[in-house]
Amino acid sequence: MGKGFGQPKVVPTRNATQFMRAFGKCYAKAKGDKRQVEQFLQANLAKLDEHLLDALSYIFPKLLADQKFGDKQNVATLFLVFGNTVGDFPLGDRALNLELSIAAYQVALKVYPRDMFPQEWALLQNNLGNAYVDRIRGDRAESLEQAIAAYELSLQVYTRDTFPEEWAMSQNNLGNVYSNRIRGDRAENLEQAITACELSLQVRTRDTSPEEWAMSQNNLGNAYSNRIRGDRAENLDQAIMAYELSLQIYTSDTFPEEWARSQNNLSDAYCNRIRGDRAENIERAIVASELSLQIYTRDTLPEYWARSQNNLGNAYQARIRGDKAENLEKAIAAYDLSLQVYTRAAFPEDWARSQTNLSAAYGNRIRGERAENLEQALAAYELSLQVHTREAFPEAWARAENNLGTAYSNRIRGDRAQNLEQAITAYELSLQVCTRNAFPESWARSKHNLASAYCDRILGEQSDNLRTAVDLYQEAAQVFTQEAFPLSWAENQGCLAEALINQASLTDNSDDLDTAITLLKEALEVAVPGSPGFIDSQYRLGNALSRRFELNQNANDLQDALKAYKTALDAISPEHYDREKIWQALPTTQSVLGSRLVREGQWQEGLQLLLNSVRLLSEGDDQLAHANALYQTGRAHETLSDWDNARLYYRDALRLYEHLNDQPGIAQSRHGLGSVLASQGYFKKGMAELQQARDLYQQLDRQNRVREVDNLYQAAQRAEQQLSEVPA
Amino acid sequence: MTAADDIFDQSTSNVQGLGLCEIPFTESPPDLESETLQYIFTGREAELRRVFNLFQSRERRRVLVYGRIGIGKSAFLREVLSVLRRKRPQMPTAYISLPADLDLATTALIAVAREMADDEWAQRQLYQMGIPTAKILKERSAEAGGNLVISGKVTEKDLPITKPLYPTVSLDTLLERAQEKYPQGVVIAIDDLDKRNPSAVRQMMHDAQGMLKGRAWFILTGHPMGITGDLLTSERGLFDLQLKLEELDQPTTYKMLINYLNSARINKGSTDPDDPRSVLPFTPEAAKHFCEVSLGKPRLFNRLGNTVLDTAANMQATLIDSEVLAQGLKAAAPELRERAALSVQEERVRAFLEQRGPISDETITYEDLEQLGLRSFSEILPFLERLEAADLAHQLDQDDSKAFAPIALPPALE
Repeated sequence: MGKGFGQPKVVPTRNATQFMRAFGKCYAKAKGDKRQVEQFLQANLAKLDEHLLDALSYIFPKLLADQKFGDKQNVATLFLVFGNTVGDFPLGDRALNLELSIAAYQVALKVYPRDMFPQEWALLQNNLGNAYVDRIRGDRAESLEQAIAAYELSLQVYTRDTFPEEWAMSQNNLGNVYSNRIRGDRAENLEQAITACELSLQVRTRDTSPEEWAMSQNNLGNAYSNRIRGDRAENLDQAIMAYELSLQIYTSDTFPEEWARSQNNLSDAYCNRIRGDRAENIERAIVASELSLQIYTRDTLPEYWARSQNNLGNAYQARIRGDKAENLEKAIAAYDLSLQVYTRAAFPEDWARSQTNLSAAYGNRIRGERAENLEQALAAYELSLQVHTREAFPEAWARAENNLGTAYSNRIRGDRAQNLEQAITAYELSLQVCTRNAFPESWARSKHNLASAYCDRILGEQSDNLRTAVDLYQEAAQVFTQEAFPLSWAENQGCLAEALINQASLTDNSDDLDTAITLLKEALEVAVPGSPGFIDSQYRLGNALSRRFELNQNANDLQDALKAYKTALDAISPEHYDREKIWQALPTTQSVLGSRLVREGQWQEGLQLLLNSVRLLSEGDDQLAHANALYQTGRAHETLSDWDNARLYYRDALRLYEHLNDQPGIAQSRHGLGSVLASQGYFKKGMAELQQARDLYQQLDRQNRVREVDNLYQAAQRAEQQLSEVPA
Repeated sequence: MTAADDIFDQSTSNVQGLGLCEIPFTESPPDLESETLQYIFTGREAELRRVFNLFQSRERRRVLVYGRIGIGKSAFLREVLSVLRRKRPQMPTAYISLPADLDLATTALIAVAREMADDEWAQRQLYQMGIPTAKILKERSAEAGGNLVISGKVTEKDLPITKPLYPTVSLDTLLERAQEKYPQGVVIAIDDLDKRNPSAVRQMMHDAQGMLKGRAWFILTGHPMGITGDLLTSERGLFDLQLKLEELDQPTTYKMLINYLNSARINKGSTDPDDPRSVLPFTPEAAKHFCEVSLGKPRLFNRLGNTVLDTAANMQATLIDSEVLAQGLKAAAPELRERAALSVQEERVRAFLEQRGPISDETITYEDLEQLGLRSFSEILPFLERLEAADLAHQLDQDDSKAFAPIALPPALE
């Protein structure tokens, strides 16, 4: 490629000329033995440098003048061969190798005009397209456009009638590049990819050209894997079918590498599959990745080995069976292995992708300190964003921004309010690229995440934030339908329900609660019992129902809430649930369920749950939840007429509420304490507590509480008078 | 004679120097079989009266004796049983300390079966549970040979050990058999329920409701609180009498000291509190002070008494005056701590209590709790109760709060 600037005369060409001469000699001697040519490049690795790249377009006349390689066409063929060999060469600086390959093809193209050498010209265009697809330097979107242009040029010569095989090859390549295209409408690009692959399969049949047929099946699988239009579940099954067809030809004996590649792709598709049993699909993904790793070793095929490691990591990260903590450690180990080969310099894109996946695994990690894991995740996302720039890899960039948002959402260190603002910014950035039309799934995911961040948001008006969140969840629900994305659908339903429950607590609006309950019941119909989503939904359903019970006092709601809490509690086990949630959900569920049970008369079981929750919460950070549990334990003891313990726990709750300056808590604890003291016959002390509770309820404008306290106070007063009237 | 023999003789003569044949203070009350109890058991007249009044009834009754740890529940229970054995020989009394991991019905079954040594069915019940019985029971089985030589052999094999499948039914059957023999009924006394945690006991009581309302008299000892306060015992009327044992008052404690000393005195002397010789080797002043620091708690009284006499004997004193008593009490504080083997957190609470003086759920502040690394009084409570059990703290007699104070002993000798 002649660079526009730079004077021909000042480019030193002697070394380059010598190198190409030597390469030519070696090629002539090798007589088509690719290995010998590669060995030559390996021996001359240091000569594959920027000088060679600069000089390549100037040395053609010198080589021709040598007359050692025959005529113009023969010298051009030498460049073609060099381009092919260096483009596939696994050693040295891969970015540079690809530039060398492109430059060599471009030199050769000047010699082979289309009208005189249509076949060679078309072949060169095809190869040039391949090099552009892999190109590392330059603008990636532009490179892919170049590749498409090159393939389409080659197809002008390779027509189906005249060169059916070549036509099929270029169609296949075109399909591949459309699958990855950045510009244009993504949905449309993927349709183009599918069309191209299917066209190539019209010529490549299993009987006539099994190997090529298998390759196109593999590419067709890739396109279906990413397809936006049509039914997603169906598309993924089409992808799996295509990969499995390719595996009929690619066996581990005959085509080990291709077999391994299709296994690897199959692994990816099973990982995402919607139909069938998800746990089973992921097991199949793991098996497929591990099969591919039988062929791909780090020494022989480092690049593919790294890719399979990456996919294996993905499968372990999604795994349902086995110990979750252990699976995540395996995922992290696999990503770490893939990153040994995927270095930033040689495979920037793959490096960045593995970094992104690694961050996700750190974000979910169970072992180690959570705060530290989240910092690791943030650091890895920032690294991946250095390569996945918005211009070159808009999709990956958007995905990384989305994940960055999630890491900020979960972050423990730093200022929580600020972290959530960061998260919101990141999600919004990701939505600039992930539009609904081009990347519906990612769009919906980011909308969903953005909604969650608004739910938790600290800055701004809470009611505004919740309204925004509800709207965003509803937008996400347009794509996350039960049919296409059952898992995401259920998750989104649950979160929407949670936002509605929170909204209802601000407005006392029972319509929101009704909607939330419906959403959760729908989600539970399809949830896998015992899965985290199932537990979440049961817990939320319990919350929604008990909240509605508080509003309408319908005993059925209370019964159902009890049942939901109980189901959630029974399903929680440390192995299948992430730590953070268990720490929050278990004690809170226990204290709510415990106090309900006590009031329902199952006081032994209830009290045990309450005491457990008090113990768990005393070790946690949520002091308000701890205070609430202490208060509920006091109430339970009061219900059981165990005055000594009731008093003790009310006083503990009061102390903690006072420390937290929680006025409603202080009021209810004094209310309980006053009631207990009066029941024990300490009327003066009890009445003093009740008086303070009454004043606080008055300030908080809780009129029915004020009335309750008044009644108690009067009863205590009467009892005291009666006592003083009795002669000693 | 070895040096150790010399030391032994010296030791004996040191105690004898105090006019005593042995140190009468013990960690736990004497056995039912021993006669010591009737000499040393002091006071509790009102409580005994209430229990014995119940025994004038024809109907079976259930009694719960409760009170703080070390208050003398076991001694009271044994005193009741020893009186019954003397006054109602036709009414067997079965005493048992609640074994770990056993339910009340099985426990009662074991206690009664032990008392019925000549009832084969009862002994079989024990044997089946792997509990040694008076007679060894063997099961006979015949095994005939299958070949033509006609031979038969009889083998004896040990019975397998199995817990009763339906302990309540087994107990009821046993009591039915007992009733034929002892028409006045059987008294089952189960001690040490307070050594289990309150919720476990509550569950046991719940499960044993049928048994408790059955054919036998029951006397149980239990926790100071919890059982008594909840629905089960108070509202469902599980017990006919719930008897709370309180700290003994000073005159009774003084009388108890006289009784203890007299039980071990070489030459029996006066037991009249007004006679200064009744508390020898204590001077009346030292005896009074000793009773004060014992806080009316029999177990603390015994523990302190043991150390004080031991110290006096080592000093080869013949009289325990205020000076000798002070030495004895100084030695008691580290001894109690050593015996308690406190955990780090218990020691932290103990040091806090010692430094702060009395604390209660009413007066403790959030900052105090923070200093102990905790957030609620209910979290310290188990530590305080542990300190109470080790006689390193005592609960104050306050019904509107839970208050604990350190036990005031003179500081240890440097």
